[in-house]
Amino acid sequence: MLAFIVRRIITTIPVMAFVALFVFSLLYIAPGDPAAVIAGDQASPADVERIRQSLGLDRPYLVRFGEWFFRVLQGDLGTSIFTSLPVTQLIAQRIEPTLSLMVLTLILAVSIAVPLGVIAAWKAGTWVDRAVVGFAVFGFSVPVFVIGYLLAYVFALKLDWVPVQGYTPIAQGIWPWFKNLILPSITLGTVYIALIARITRATMLEVLQQDYVRTAQAKGVSNRDVLFLHSLKNAAVPVVTIIGIGVALLIGGAVVTESVFAIPGLGRLTLDAILRRDYPVIQGVVLIFSFVYVLVNLAVDLIYTLVDPRIRY
Amino acid sequence: MDRRNFLKTAAGTGVLAATGGLAMPALSQGAAAKTLRFVPQANLANFDPIWGTQYVVRNAAALVWDTLYGIDSKFQPQRQMVEGEEVSADGLTWTFKLRSGLKFHDGTPVLAKDVVQSLKRWQARDPMGLMIKAIENDLSAVDDRSWTWKLKQPFPKMLLALAKNNAPCSFIMPERIAKTDPFTQITEYVGSGPMKFARNEWVPGAKAVFEKFADYVPRSEKADWLAGGKNILVDRVEWVIIPDAATAAAALQSGEVDWWETPLSDLVPVLKAHKDINVDIGDPLGNIGAFRMNHLHPPFNNLKVRQAVLTAMNQEDFMRSIVGDDDKLWKPLPGFFTPGTPLYTEAGGDMLKMKNVAAAKKLIAESGYNGEPVVCVVAQDMSATKSMGDVTAELLKSIGLKVDFVATDWGTVGARRAQKTPPGQGGWSMFHTWHAGADCINPSSYTAIRANGDKAWFGWPDVPAVEAEVTNWFNAKDQAEEKAAMDRLNKAAVENVVYAPTGFYLGYQAWRKNVTGVTSGPLPFFWNVAKG
Repeated sequence: MLAFIVRRIITTIPVMAFVALFVFSLLYIAPGDPAAVIAGDQASPADVERIRQSLGLDRPYLVRFGEWFFRVLQGDLGTSIFTSLPVTQLIAQRIEPTLSLMVLTLILAVSIAVPLGVIAAWKAGTWVDRAVVGFAVFGFSVPVFVIGYLLAYVFALKLDWVPVQGYTPIAQGIWPWFKNLILPSITLGTVYIALIARITRATMLEVLQQDYVRTAQAKGVSNRDVLFLHSLKNAAVPVVTIIGIGVALLIGGAVVTESVFAIPGLGRLTLDAILRRDYPVIQGVVLIFSFVYVLVNLAVDLIYTLVDPRIRY
Repeated sequence: MDRRNFLKTAAGTGVLAATGGLAMPALSQGAAAKTLRFVPQANLANFDPIWGTQYVVRNAAALVWDTLYGIDSKFQPQRQMVEGEEVSADGLTWTFKLRSGLKFHDGTPVLAKDVVQSLKRWQARDPMGLMIKAIENDLSAVDDRSWTWKLKQPFPKMLLALAKNNAPCSFIMPERIAKTDPFTQITEYVGSGPMKFARNEWVPGAKAVFEKFADYVPRSEKADWLAGGKNILVDRVEWVIIPDAATAAAALQSGEVDWWETPLSDLVPVLKAHKDINVDIGDPLGNIGAFRMNHLHPPFNNLKVRQAVLTAMNQEDFMRSIVGDDDKLWKPLPGFFTPGTPLYTEAGGDMLKMKNVAAAKKLIAESGYNGEPVVCVVAQDMSATKSMGDVTAELLKSIGLKVDFVATDWGTVGARRAQKTPPGQGGWSMFHTWHAGADCINPSSYTAIRANGDKAWFGWPDVPAVEAEVTNWFNAKDQAEEKAAMDRLNKAAVENVVYAPTGFYLGYQAWRKNVTGVTSGPLPFFWNVAKG
């Protein structure tokens, strides 16, 4: 197992190097100029050029990439063109809200979607099943920002149960932290719930046809135990896989959710950086996201061994 | 770790979190009442008002850095950090003296050497500063509180240059900070203004915090825009960046924020209907919508084609696309200067009132236009430019011009408009923008009206008659001479179509009724604003 983990971490290095090269190249050929944004709308062309030179943006591609890559190897993601703050500091400022949002969404989604999928499979063909499938279609179809606005209107503005926007660090208390995150988590989690519920339902439908399930039922095992102890465990591998893949969905959805709820997370940092062409920040954040995604995949592989004892590395 | 241990550990962590073991005390109610939460027009992404000239940076900088003079609501420069000034009879030597007792936020006194270095940095980036630099003999400190500015020729607009609110303003910084190259960003934010910047709380894109500066000595005169006593009546001002307009509206309604600088016009009816919210015009000087044509390349290097566009355009179409049906928010603008200001003129602006497509088509026919596509570059991520771009495309088609509509974002427009290459080779034919009305009250900081060819703003118009009148305005001895120069300038700029003004429009601001002292102005003024 340890050898497997080490091997997987080592294979991360070329993946990250490729991501770095790809992102840097993409930004190099993309139109736009941070110097023009910095200089402001009234700046003269000469001023824009001076700023471009001072930022080193007039230097050749290979020189810029070489310098940046060498710094990244030393753990230095560079300095934001706009704020003059280190990219690592900007990411550190923003990582807690995004991690909190993603973890809460994950917990919420899994704890709702898995039972929904199991029940839908158990009651296949009934109105319960149709309701769950209908919800899944709704979750896939409605844009994240529409759900966000509706929830904020009802629960924040009309009922005044939770704040409209913002983020409270967990260090200031679990309850304020939770109140700020519950609407964004439901918003972000809806599509995720739909995805997991559908996969769980489909897998469970297959498992429930198996002989050992019929045997368990014939032996008088309760429905609850048949569903959650015998069947779900055997349906877990595809479900865990889809949960892992769904993390990419969460990363993408976080950009929209953080904008709608004004959460100062990595999603908004990325969006702002792209709009301003703050190249070091974009590169840094994409690298971090890639690394997280690689780690999530590793975690999924490890969880397989927990849910299915037959799997060994 | 096996499955059971893994699950037990995970559950244990959840219980620890749920019991609130990590809880910290929240802010008290009293502290909250003394904190004013403000939603600015944009993100404060950097904080050097000389290096970056975005309005949002200027607005934040006005809290932290003070100026020698401040412009008032009558557009007159008034003393601010300065106690007095003298100008020699020949107009060549200016001597200034600082007020006593001025301190920077780090506790050190403000000295003449700080002023001199700050002015040198400002000069390098400001159009008026550059004009002064071109005729400067010497700028140096005389003693701790006095300095002289010796010129080769008189510069009657000296006090206006030091007082103007157009970015970059001549903010005063400590000498060590002002020594930073004007094209490099400062990293220390120490000023002598009424509030201190809480750098450790700054999260670019999310929050910027300003704290009351206890040692600030306000002037005794009544506050009037950037002039007079800047009394701070709250302990903290928090700028909360809310990128989504609907969320900002909801946050204002729920009381999570106190003041929103630029509500979206679509949401204003909702805010007006709310019992706890005031809505009023934000900046009475408003904005001038604009699109600029590239004077270097066909078809807009041809005067008749440019005139045809102005002849056909109906400014109402452009303005309604931005502000909707609210007639209080826009005016037609047969010229280039801000309505309601002392030097406003419509002289020679008839072409902008014609709205005559037939006449425009005749001009196009006379121009010899041979079907070159107009590369119309439009930023879709800014509602004003997107709206105007759509109207322009229809306008151009209606007079027989072929349109290549390039929908993109502002970051791309910002880079592409600097290209002088032909439109088909990465250049452009036109782009849309707007100018703050405060920048367009006279030619002093009105970069967009200049027509000095290669040195002009994007589009590079070359019209000597315009430049001559700009010079005449700078040399004017009284307001009558200034007005005459402005009349001739407006006429020349319209006739030669320096750029196309699409109309004058205003915007609202909104604030909670427990906040008092909010005024209309070219930037949000936080002095004398209290929160009940």
